[in-house]
Amino acid sequence: MIELRFHRDIYAGESVDEALKVFERFATWEREQTDDAWVVRCTHDDAAREKKVANELANYALGLTIRRGGAT
Amino acid sequence: MSDIPQGLVSFDVGKAAVTMNVDADVYPLQALYGAAFIFIDRCYVFIDKPAQGQFRVTLGARGTVEDEEALRRLVGEFANELLTCAWRHQITQDNRMLIEAVTMQAIGGAAGSPSLDDLANFDFSDDAFEDPLGIAQSWEEKHGKKAGAGEDAT
Repeated sequence: MIELRFHRDIYAGESVDEALKVFERFATWEREQTDDAWVVRCTHDDAAREKKVANELANYALGLTIRRGGAT
Repeated sequence: MSDIPQGLVSFDVGKAAVTMNVDADVYPLQALYGAAFIFIDRCYVFIDKPAQGQFRVTLGARGTVEDEEALRRLVGEFANELLTCAWRHQITQDNRMLIEAVTMQAIGGAAGSPSLDDLANFDFSDDAFEDPLGIAQSWEEKHGKKAGAGEDAT
């Protein structure tokens, strides 16, 4: 299982949600909110696949955040 | 490539990743976004904020990495791009008022010519502009011969 902590000052929650929708079918996802971060956990039987999908999701969420002009 | 200051960057060849600490006072988040967006198709970019006033960027190679040198090149190029983006951001901040003024003028011009009512209501009582250097004066006003006491002004 890989845990990604997207800091709220850097990543937009909408962007993380949208990225999760896109990558939903590639792995099993859990999401959680803390005071300072959007937490996403990725699980897949294949460890290499798990790492790749998690990294791609993080890239996608960052790209969407940047395109919308930032986290706020 | 010159050495990167110690404590700023850490390499993990096994994970094919490099982590760089970024001072938020020197490199604003917008600059970080700009540099990250350029590298997003080359590698995995993850930005974190471990403490107030500090960012941590993790660049992960898309494939395997032979040695530390490849990661060193990657982070070096990222740092260069980050510096460029920070400088562009600073220029934009410095010229923000000018950009806004020009944009407003362009939008105002696109609105079309004023109506007769607008002209009728326009306040012409104020001076059009101040001219302390006398730029708006005609050549004769500025350099022409003054009518002397003994000269015939006609």
